[in-house]
Amino acid sequence: MPEIRVTPLGAGQDVGRSCILVSIGGKNVMLDCGMHMGFNDDRRFPDFSYITQNGRLTDFLDCVIISHFHLDHCGALPYFSEMVGYDGPIYMTHPTQAICPILLEDYRKIAVDKKGEANFFTSQMIKDCMKKVVAVHLHQTVQVDDELEIKAYYAGHVLGAAMFQIKVGSESVVYTGDYNMTPDRHLGAAWIDKCRPDLLITESTYATTIRDSKRCRERDFLKKVHETVERGGKVLIPVFALGRAQELCILLETFWERMNLKVPIYFSTGLTEKANHYYKLFITWTNQKIRKTFVHRNMFEFKHIKAFDRAFADNPGPMVVFATPGMLHAGQSLQIFRKWAGNEKNMVIMPGYCVQGTVGHKILSGQRKLEMEGRQLEVRMQVEYMSFSAHADAKGIMQLVGQAEPRRVLLVHGEAKKMEFLKQKIEQEFRVSCYMPANGETVTLPTSPSIPVSVSLGLLKREMAQVPLPEAKKPRLLHGTLIMKEGNFRLVSSEQALKELGLAEHQLRFTCRVHLHDTRKEQETALRVYSHLKSVLRDHCVQHLPDGSVTVESILIQAAAHSEDPGTKVLLVSWTYQDEELGSYLTALLKKGLPQAPS
Amino acid sequence: MESAEDWLVESLRLYQDFHAFDLSGATRVLEWIGNKGVFVAGYESLKKNEILHLVLPHRLSVKENQGLFPERDFKVCHGGFSDRCVFALKHVPDTRLLVTSGLPGCYLEVWQVSEDSDVIQVVSTVAVQEAEGSLWPRVAIFASTAPGILHGRRLSDLQIVDLESQKTTYASGVSDREELSSLQVLDGDTFAFCCTSGRLGLVDTRQKWAPSESLRPGPSFSGQSWCADVGGRGQAPGPSIASLGSNGQLRLLDPRDLSRPVSSVQCPVPTPSPDPELLRVTWAPGLHNCLAISGFDGTVQVHDVTSWAAAGNQVEPHFTHSGHLFLDGNGAGSAPLVTTHTWHPCKPRTLLSAASDASLHVWDWVAPEASC
Repeated sequence: MPEIRVTPLGAGQDVGRSCILVSIGGKNVMLDCGMHMGFNDDRRFPDFSYITQNGRLTDFLDCVIISHFHLDHCGALPYFSEMVGYDGPIYMTHPTQAICPILLEDYRKIAVDKKGEANFFTSQMIKDCMKKVVAVHLHQTVQVDDELEIKAYYAGHVLGAAMFQIKVGSESVVYTGDYNMTPDRHLGAAWIDKCRPDLLITESTYATTIRDSKRCRERDFLKKVHETVERGGKVLIPVFALGRAQELCILLETFWERMNLKVPIYFSTGLTEKANHYYKLFITWTNQKIRKTFVHRNMFEFKHIKAFDRAFADNPGPMVVFATPGMLHAGQSLQIFRKWAGNEKNMVIMPGYCVQGTVGHKILSGQRKLEMEGRQLEVRMQVEYMSFSAHADAKGIMQLVGQAEPRRVLLVHGEAKKMEFLKQKIEQEFRVSCYMPANGETVTLPTSPSIPVSVSLGLLKREMAQVPLPEAKKPRLLHGTLIMKEGNFRLVSSEQALKELGLAEHQLRFTCRVHLHDTRKEQETALRVYSHLKSVLRDHCVQHLPDGSVTVESILIQAAAHSEDPGTKVLLVSWTYQDEELGSYLTALLKKGLPQAPS
Repeated sequence: MESAEDWLVESLRLYQDFHAFDLSGATRVLEWIGNKGVFVAGYESLKKNEILHLVLPHRLSVKENQGLFPERDFKVCHGGFSDRCVFALKHVPDTRLLVTSGLPGCYLEVWQVSEDSDVIQVVSTVAVQEAEGSLWPRVAIFASTAPGILHGRRLSDLQIVDLESQKTTYASGVSDREELSSLQVLDGDTFAFCCTSGRLGLVDTRQKWAPSESLRPGPSFSGQSWCADVGGRGQAPGPSIASLGSNGQLRLLDPRDLSRPVSSVQCPVPTPSPDPELLRVTWAPGLHNCLAISGFDGTVQVHDVTSWAAAGNQVEPHFTHSGHLFLDGNGAGSAPLVTTHTWHPCKPRTLLSAASDASLHVWDWVAPEASC
């Protein structure tokens, strides 16, 4: 029975380490390879021993697909490919390929330099891992081998994020990764065609959420910034170099313009170079449809936002600064932070998750006294944690299911008991089954792949000539021969097949002897047989031929005298293989004897 | 688009906190469970409506360090499906049970919020009487160790039914067929009713039917449909009963003497209300002499009644929430109508409001220098 098997791997119950194993049509694909940010030991990595106890991962897996650059989707990749061992292809979009190594390197530096971890992947491992990457374009069908193909769809969420369709023959699975159904200032909304996959795999955590609108998040950000600069304070916004920074810049610029504010806004130069590079990358990656949804401009051509100089940090008065890196773990953003932390009029706005060990993580945990380079730093500035990441929610999931029209839906990373209602909702609205495996649990879904077969015209015509006529739209049993040649399937009549194969048709004929006690002549016996059969077999064509033989349909019965015993007559009953059933029945009937004829 | 941006900029100074959500279906109910959860329910006909138990975003519950909590979303904690439109939903305090009323059919449904899964399911029904067009029974809950459901469509069929045994423990026993618009339990023995005609009464269930009542509103007030809210459980000093009419009139009455309203004003709302069933007036639990009204358009108005003495007949709201009008995602099509609103039980200036476009707002307005 063909089937699709899905196993979510990974530690912990919360959203943390995406890594899903899918077996489809005999192929094995690993979806994402993320790590759990909350753990510091091996629990942060998915349990790869599950995949194969003794075999090599490269032999077992046909490919690995990475949906986007967030560490909880790609953070374990170098560990997996270089330390556990995998040499097969790793697929991801171009922007993901460009950004992943930077984030991985940043993360590695924090883990090793800041936290002194020993058993961690090295910079070289990251490079070696990235050499195995094959970058893909949106909506491009990529042949992994002659049976497995994949295709990326736009997912929104972050730069380069994609949903992937994995197809083997007529069976397919769509994996959404993280996606977003509402467009924002620089990213469009996720989109997929009505591809009708056998299975749609998506995150369950967002399904039980109803998200606050984008506008309200932006409002909160503006409010905090405005209040701070109004009281003469300085605002520091540590950012990673793209996407979010541009969006926040556009937001502030619009607001400054409207309110006619004069407070300076700066971005650090490191930001400009990287950002412009990625922006160009982004534009070439997306297609026409998506390009339309965002701002066409040179990213840093702002009226109110200027390039930063480190000397400005000491200027008196209010200002807003965007600086890298995003987690305050090094570089310019950390320098500025140290200068401004002591003043309670100032504010730092962290726009995303910070990895353990970074200053960002510490202050977001509420720590207000920090050790830096042997000195204590007291943090009096206001610390604000804002989440701008764009995720789908309950409504979004329903929209996506409506777009793709999968046969089934599978939700990962959730507790089945806590999602009964969602399961019912999806099942009712779309009439599809919904599955919710636990981590490490395998879900097996039987599929019925359809195999296209061409039927010969001659065969169809013959069927149409049958009485009664075949009923339209009802399944009908055909008798033919299936020819499998060069990847094609054809159904033809048996005669046609024999001709094509150059074979002669053989006829099988059976003959049976039935002994009857009858003293009369053979001709009379034959007549008796004819009368008897005619009366019993009302539904069949029974004939008495001039040469004395009797036929029932195409079965022949001949009477002959027994060679040694004149009182016994021998009936020869012969029939073809096709008439086996009737032939057997006749034989049994004749063996019972003939009724007494009136003499 | 432009006006939405303008309003958002304005909102920076008007509101402390502001959250806007899109439910999958519009709700006419907002019922609290504790301080952190609310129930909403759909009211569309001919489809399955969802009843949801939503948990408020964490940052709205924390007292300190609000800035460190980035979570701004509602969590769907439990959900269930109703084949009917749900027009009223009441939580039975200290239990995991809910009572709903709606159409079609004339019966109440009792639901259980599951403990170890996320499902809300019907566990029993309470028959009322034969269905009667579009009249649906109003509901209120007598909370006690043996909770009772107060329900009725008219004064004549007003009764209290024991939740567990379903036996009727009290009936009005009158033949008066005036239609009810709201019922409110005040304490273990008393409840208040308001008829659509504006007639109000306070009933002590320990006695045979003998409510202290207001007179039906005079001719200048008639032709309207009314609802009411009793603040402070009917025991606060002064005029603690507010009654709102579909023509925008708001009367304040003192429970000790219902025969004469203490004041009567005209609210600046578009009149008449497009749907008097959606009229709501609520007293603020955490603010003195403050109430909110909705049901005329896409706004919620907050009024400080102490300012009325000086104002005369025409009053101005202390604050107007227009978010549902400006953040209307649909753009084209008719403007949304606020279907219900409720005050946060603990945060004095925080309200929740829902509208016909399935939006749900949580807002906390900034108090101007004056009191309230």
